[in-house]
Amino acid sequence: MAAKTQLAPALGTGSPQPKRRRSYMAARSRVGYLLVLPAVAALAAIAIYPLVYNLVLSTRFDVLTEPGTGHFTGLANYKQMVTDPNFWGDLGRTGIFMVVSVTLEFVAGLILALIVHRQFKARGLVRASILIPWAIPTAVSALLWKMFFDIRSGFVDFALKALHLPGSQLVWFNSPTLAWVPIILSDMWKNTPFIALLLLAGLQTIPQEIYESARIDGANSWQAFWAITLPLLRPAIMVALIFRTLSAMLVFDTIFVMTGGGPGQSTEVVAYYDWYKYMVSLNFGFGAAVAVAITVLALILAAIYVRLLRQRGGFMA
Amino acid sequence: MKSRLGRTGFNALVAIIILYSLFPFYWVFKSSLESSFALNRQTSSIWPTQWTFVHYEAIFAVENFLRPLLNSMFVAGMATLLSVVLGSMAAYGLSRMPIKGKVPILGFILLVSFFPQIAMVGPLFLVFRHLHWLNTYQSLIIPYLILSLPITTWILTAFFSQIPADIEEAAMVDGATITQTITRVFAPIAMPGIFTAAILGFLLSWNDFLFALSFIQTPNMDTVPLALVNFRNAYYVHYGQIYAGVVIASLPIALIVLFLQKRIESGLTAGSVKG
Amino acid sequence: MNMPRQVRRRTVAVMSSTALLLTLAGCGSSATGASGPHNVTIVFATQGLGTEAQATQAAVNAFEKLHPHIHVQIETLSASSNDAYQTLITDLTSGSGTPDVITADVIWPATFAAAKWIMPLNQFHPNTSTFYQGMVKSGEYHGKLYAMPWFINVEGLYYRTDLVKTPPKTFAQLTADARAAMKKNPKLIGLAFEGNKYEGAVTVFQDISGGFGGSFLNAQGKPVLNSPQNIKALTWLDNAIKTGLSPTAVTGWEEGNVQQAFLSGDAVFATNWPYLYPLAEASGSAVKNEVAFVPTPIDGGQPTASLGGDDLVINKNTKYPKQAWELVKYLTSAKTMTARALISGDPPARTDAYTPSLLAKAPWFKQEEVVYADATPRPVTPLYPQISAQIQEALSATYSGQETPTQALNQAQKAVEAIVSGHGS
Repeated sequence: MAAKTQLAPALGTGSPQPKRRRSYMAARSRVGYLLVLPAVAALAAIAIYPLVYNLVLSTRFDVLTEPGTGHFTGLANYKQMVTDPNFWGDLGRTGIFMVVSVTLEFVAGLILALIVHRQFKARGLVRASILIPWAIPTAVSALLWKMFFDIRSGFVDFALKALHLPGSQLVWFNSPTLAWVPIILSDMWKNTPFIALLLLAGLQTIPQEIYESARIDGANSWQAFWAITLPLLRPAIMVALIFRTLSAMLVFDTIFVMTGGGPGQSTEVVAYYDWYKYMVSLNFGFGAAVAVAITVLALILAAIYVRLLRQRGGFMA
Repeated sequence: MKSRLGRTGFNALVAIIILYSLFPFYWVFKSSLESSFALNRQTSSIWPTQWTFVHYEAIFAVENFLRPLLNSMFVAGMATLLSVVLGSMAAYGLSRMPIKGKVPILGFILLVSFFPQIAMVGPLFLVFRHLHWLNTYQSLIIPYLILSLPITTWILTAFFSQIPADIEEAAMVDGATITQTITRVFAPIAMPGIFTAAILGFLLSWNDFLFALSFIQTPNMDTVPLALVNFRNAYYVHYGQIYAGVVIASLPIALIVLFLQKRIESGLTAGSVKG
Repeated sequence: MNMPRQVRRRTVAVMSSTALLLTLAGCGSSATGASGPHNVTIVFATQGLGTEAQATQAAVNAFEKLHPHIHVQIETLSASSNDAYQTLITDLTSGSGTPDVITADVIWPATFAAAKWIMPLNQFHPNTSTFYQGMVKSGEYHGKLYAMPWFINVEGLYYRTDLVKTPPKTFAQLTADARAAMKKNPKLIGLAFEGNKYEGAVTVFQDISGGFGGSFLNAQGKPVLNSPQNIKALTWLDNAIKTGLSPTAVTGWEEGNVQQAFLSGDAVFATNWPYLYPLAEASGSAVKNEVAFVPTPIDGGQPTASLGGDDLVINKNTKYPKQAWELVKYLTSAKTMTARALISGDPPARTDAYTPSLLAKAPWFKQEEVVYADATPRPVTPLYPQISAQIQEALSATYSGQETPTQALNQAQKAVEAIVSGHGS
């Protein structure tokens, strides 16, 4: 702490020489930019460059299996995309998946956060146990839940039968609607903890006194939840929702591993559509057009997010 | 919640949560011990019906699963190292130096983490193909920076901002050089934050499937998720081997999570990053 | 005479490069084509694990002994067909000279040839007279031969000889036979087949479709997916599921699941590939000595066995075409094929490789040869991957009850027409 007392005079002696101090500040700021530059440059190269590349590619006919035939085609790829009913079908399914999975994960995450926020014996165990699924790669989670729903060795069928519930011997992946059940369960298993943790952090910022004064005013805990918790939790809720909505919009690993878009086309999503155009049809021009569309949608969501953060007056959560 | 009913309901809810989170892991472990024959039969018991380690032997002896484990650790580790170095530099600049445009810079870094991975697959594929980099480690390490660098920079900026600047200034006044100040005074205080950022960066890279699926082409370069999805021959999906592989690959991750739970939680919420 | 130093050095350089040229020329014109004093390394990209990998290694070792100046480097591709395909696409589109020799699934050579990535083999005057002609056809593109058949693979019908006395001649007969067996033992599966949304479902459908007289493309190469014959075939398969002849679970089954059901004695009929036969006859199999392998029945069509198997092709940009051809020639010789069949069970692609000693050790090949005669390649077109994806979707949409066979095939027809005309992808 001796250092601290020396600090004031040190700064004080600096002030009579404003010129030197200004150049010192300029030097520091130059060093600052130099420190920031590599990270920004790296991100720009890896993320912005592909974005621009996609814009160029999307106006070209470029099919890898037809070498030497690449040429400019204007908006033909975009025209083909918007006239392809499969594109719109996949976009619609993606939207439904976003709404359903994010809603379920939000409700479950909120309940989870409220539970963990309370003091009880198994609190540590719950916190640790929900975090482990979050650390499992999405593709692995999908692979596991696919096997869990296997009629023979999976536990879902075994449990349904043991509990005498309907649905035993059901081939989930052969139903256009039921095939979504394992997909959503796998997605929830992996992602609910993330929402819960964000909401928990939000809950911990709410001062306990507000609840106490509410109780004195005669509010029951249900009323307090609606009147205090939810409004004060709003920023954390928004952050969690936007992050999850965005990653749900780009869902790929789960679909690729679990169903390949089947049965028929009933679980195909827009990221899968794009990947197929790129890596199976090897039609890079068309794939780029779809990628541009997806990027625009993602950036719209990102803009909403940034605006919400601004409203909160800063970036730090 | 004083009522007994309330408490029972609460306990039941807690039990369901723990069951949903952890029972799958039990089932994976149980199934990894069953013979292929049993895995193809109707499940008869919740307990292991036998204890066979053939799948564990097979994934190492036949499938060479050690290779994807090392591949994954290497590419995720390298991406993390790069992210931590670049991210610490950027965070130090952003939190310590008098630079203009902090908010736009942080905004840009955040924006990048919103860029759809799928939209980068095509262009990066063509670039890597041109450079003859497909199916190499750098074809994963470089794109993984997109996954780990933004969160690393965010966490570190938040963390560095909380370290009072007086400490370094005092050291400088005492005659320490900039390098000494950073390595002797700042780094020890910043270490926990750097560590937190590194864990999260690592887990996000470890999680990747799409880039590996698109840029990796031969089995000896597979990452863990890719290898597990590919545990099959032309005709047959090896359930037992997948289960055993998941056990092996998840153990270190589960241990990391259990020992470093607090850090991961604080990192996740500090940066408000995506999972 | 004293020569200035520099001049002498240059002379030496000229002399040695002349020698090199001579060597190269000699190498090219020598009868074996490969055994010049110049050592070359050929990269051979191939799939296969376990015994298949052993068989490949053994053949390559023998080849290297025969040609001491050619070193063969084996590059193992992914066991997943899609991944292997992508690896090759990447290597070939980059214009790389390696891999020099490539193992290609029978559905790939057309794509590779159309893209001019592999070389026509006619210049080497290959003799394919003793090869299975269906397989040779799968390697032809625009009248030229681009691929040498390596081993054949056909999808046929397995049945239990203890439950079914004579192989069914018609689909109605197959259903009746299966029903009769199921009546005696209700736990039996009538027909186990591959119904997952993947390539294997397409080959099953091709078998059935051919039996009804259908095909994917007509003689002019135009898509005819919604032909009455194809609709009949898909209706029959769909009904198999709907009427319980096959369990609904087959909609998620691949070869391994079918194999499991058949080998455990749970299925009367099963569609699968020859690899299953030795497993059925192995000790410990529940169906040992009770198995037969036949072409699928017919109902107005031809006996059809969807052709799989692997070809060998040569990279157009290889630096060593002659040496590459030597390797291909050696691997596709009758002797090498027989040896491979003994190690890995891969059925030779030429009739003269089925020697009496091979048939004595692997008697099932006798039955399988009958099925090979009906081998029918899938459409030989560069667009096959996209066409197959449409068929997979149609089959899956039908089996899951989302569309009738007619609706599904009409839609696939429309999509494939767009793909063929270049307006879809």
